[in-house]
Amino acid sequence: MSHPSVPRSVSSATLSRRAFAACAVGLACGGLPAWSHAEVPLLRVLTHSSFDLPKELLTGFEKSAGVKLGIVKGGDAGEMLNKLILTRANPVADVVYGIDNALAGKALAAGVLAPYSGPSATAPSAAILPAPLVPVDHGCVTLNIDKAWFAKSGLALPTSLQDLTLPAYKNLLVVQNPATSSPGLSFLAATIAGLGEEAAFDWWAKLRANGVKVAKGWTEAYYTDFSKNGGKRPIVVSYASSPAAEVFYSKTKLTEAPTASLNLKGGVFQQVEGVALVKGGKQAEAAGQFIEFLRSAPVQQALQTTLWMLPATPGVAAADVMRHAPTPTAFDNPSTEQMAAQTPAWVSRWTQVVLK
Amino acid sequence: MRLAARLPRALLLPPLLFVAVVVAAPMLRLLWEGAHPEPGTAALTGQPPLTVWGVWADAHLRFRLLWSLAQAGISTALTFALGLPVAWVLARHHFAGRQWVLRLLMLPFVVPTLVAALGVLALWGPNGHWAEPLGLELEDTPWLLVIGNVFFNLCLVVRAGVDALGQVSASRLAAARTLGATPWRAFWRVEWPAIRLPLAGALCLVFLYCFAGMGLALVLGGQRWATAEVEIYTLVAHELRLADASALAWWTVGFGTLLAGLYASLARRLAQPRRADRVPTRPVRGWRARSAVAAALTVLLATSVAPLVATVAWALADVPGLWAVWTAPETLDALWNTLRFSAMALLAATALGLCQGLAVFHWRGAAQAGLWVQASTFVPFVVSPVAVAFGLLLLYPEWTASLGLLVAAYTLLAYPFVGQHVAQSLAALPPHWAQAARTLGASPWRVFVRVTLPLVAPALRRGMAFAAATALGEFAVSLFLSRPEWTTLTTLIYQHLGRPGAANLYAAHALSLLLMALALVVFVLLDANVGSAAPHAPPKARHA
Repeated sequence: MSHPSVPRSVSSATLSRRAFAACAVGLACGGLPAWSHAEVPLLRVLTHSSFDLPKELLTGFEKSAGVKLGIVKGGDAGEMLNKLILTRANPVADVVYGIDNALAGKALAAGVLAPYSGPSATAPSAAILPAPLVPVDHGCVTLNIDKAWFAKSGLALPTSLQDLTLPAYKNLLVVQNPATSSPGLSFLAATIAGLGEEAAFDWWAKLRANGVKVAKGWTEAYYTDFSKNGGKRPIVVSYASSPAAEVFYSKTKLTEAPTASLNLKGGVFQQVEGVALVKGGKQAEAAGQFIEFLRSAPVQQALQTTLWMLPATPGVAAADVMRHAPTPTAFDNPSTEQMAAQTPAWVSRWTQVVLK
Repeated sequence: MRLAARLPRALLLPPLLFVAVVVAAPMLRLLWEGAHPEPGTAALTGQPPLTVWGVWADAHLRFRLLWSLAQAGISTALTFALGLPVAWVLARHHFAGRQWVLRLLMLPFVVPTLVAALGVLALWGPNGHWAEPLGLELEDTPWLLVIGNVFFNLCLVVRAGVDALGQVSASRLAAARTLGATPWRAFWRVEWPAIRLPLAGALCLVFLYCFAGMGLALVLGGQRWATAEVEIYTLVAHELRLADASALAWWTVGFGTLLAGLYASLARRLAQPRRADRVPTRPVRGWRARSAVAAALTVLLATSVAPLVATVAWALADVPGLWAVWTAPETLDALWNTLRFSAMALLAATALGLCQGLAVFHWRGAAQAGLWVQASTFVPFVVSPVAVAFGLLLLYPEWTASLGLLVAAYTLLAYPFVGQHVAQSLAALPPHWAQAARTLGASPWRVFVRVTLPLVAPALRRGMAFAAATALGEFAVSLFLSRPEWTTLTTLIYQHLGRPGAANLYAAHALSLLLMALALVVFVLLDANVGSAAPHAPPKARHA
């Protein structure tokens, strides 16, 4: 009986398909993890998606603490905290890094953090966070400008937030939605602390009329709307350290940053990121060691060019490239309590004023 | 014999179980959490929760839902209007490079949404290469999102159309023409009835993708033209307003289910066995054929290929740089992860999809049950991905950062493609081919292996190609918890785009090009004779 459909000769296509199937099975099996490191305890670390430290430092920590690090990224900082809150009955991590002063109040109110009393809890620090969070790094959310755009147009740089509502600056600014973005929320908080709540929302209403663009998050704003990267808006909400990162990650060697931060009254927010034990987490001792590790000099040195933040431990030398990113001298932060109590109301009012 | 009779029934179990564990249970868990929030969570949100009907009383949410339906409807209609003529031209003509056109068409599927959006914006955005000369200001209009939707989904309609048109009976078409029917009339009376079912399936999928889509809507829709799924994402991930989110999710799931049910009932009425004599493809001769092919290729280039050209051009502008990015240790790690996760997902998706397709075929006679089995193919596309991701987190917290769940998530989005293609192909099999084999003494298993399976193999491979594309491109997997050691090419691209600097933007484009090249290799291996209703291969049944 002849086969109903198998071609008479095995074509090269069939051969390649067989090879492909073999590869697929091989990959799928080879990809299975080896279940061998069961004897080394696992320390689960929850971070936001921007977390990044040199591999050598992390493996060094694993060796000295005698644990295996299981780093889990939970998205943007706000999203990460919400995941921690949703799973508090059965925590997904033992220690959490990346809760900042804008989110600290919410984290405390939700009761997802455990007290910590190691050396770093009381050590002097360049920026502060409410206990039990231990500050790790700090930096400023502020406006960034595209230098080339302003040089070409001849337009003077705005000198106050009010300037941005003038016709000359129509359609020039892109901000992030505070409902979905940490820098967006920080910037909103700064305007409220700097101008006062009523004046701030008046300003946002005028800004809407003057064509402010709202992007979902930092990436969308910076890479689709900012004129430096093909968009058409030369002013974007970003970080004071961004110009230094532009130099560090340039394609050709730069002597000067192509962007600059523009620090206006009511437009600068000091962000302080911290680490804390998770309530109900395991491995409390190793978790404590991890907190101390994040405050140690090598990490504090390295994080300047991986997280693009400034060290919280005083006396750590600044990275050379940071000379392109002067630290703002003044900032406007609401208090932690105020942020915890009012952030939801601020965000929904902002949505009403700017979007709906 | 009894085993043989029961086996097909048992086939439904794996996909059903999979959907119950990975989709239904998490979704219900989240909805339950919305209805009965833990004390403390509700206090953080500061607002009274919405009811299911309250969604329609809120002007903002009502607009989101209606706009989601409208943009999905408009996008589906556009892909149909553009896709059907293009599919007809491609199905009826053969020319050099035709196979490559069909493969290139599927690339939008593997490109990360944000990179694709950069491409669409480079053409249609502010200062866009096309929008500016045409004097179009599309920013903050709904059209950017619709253009993006067509870019992503046109391939679904064109591929379905090309494959279906290839199965149209040549003798019937010839008979119609001999009896004096115009080509137009012959199309409506002979070709259209034979292709409307696969087309309906593809359009249903396009609608569901556009309706439940989030990534594209976030970038291209902006804040004004975002979809209901974006609203669900914001409510769940950032505001913890689970009650409001579940109220909205009930409606999106409801609309999706309605559509899937509609397709299922269509599928059961319209299925017709395919014929052994396929319409042969013609060489491109004469001005009419030439201009038809040129027009079809132009449409494809403009909608599905052009947005990718920006990325390719960007990446190729610096070849030494490209090589440096491709051979960086982090790229090689990510490439390995992409390969192994995709392979695992593809294996699982093929197994589950085959089970699903065979189950649909087995239940084709049953009135009510058959309808449900058919509709269940679409379950993974009907549910809200955000609700499922957070439901999984609530339901299996200890599993959320595990490899098993990661691969399950990839599989979930991939297996319906295999299932749908297999089911459609089986429905089109003339029953007497298998019956003939049985009469000649073949056991049911032998019939399956020697007759049925080889006959559905092309459809299976097509389904697998789509499944592989989905796995390589990993649509909503970024919603889950991830580990640095699991970084894939897509996550690496997003990491680069999370930092300032020209080198990061360049790396994102270079890695996207790598992803496209990888996808093309996989398509060539999986789908070697794509879309060929090859006239030189004699109809298979004549050998039997």
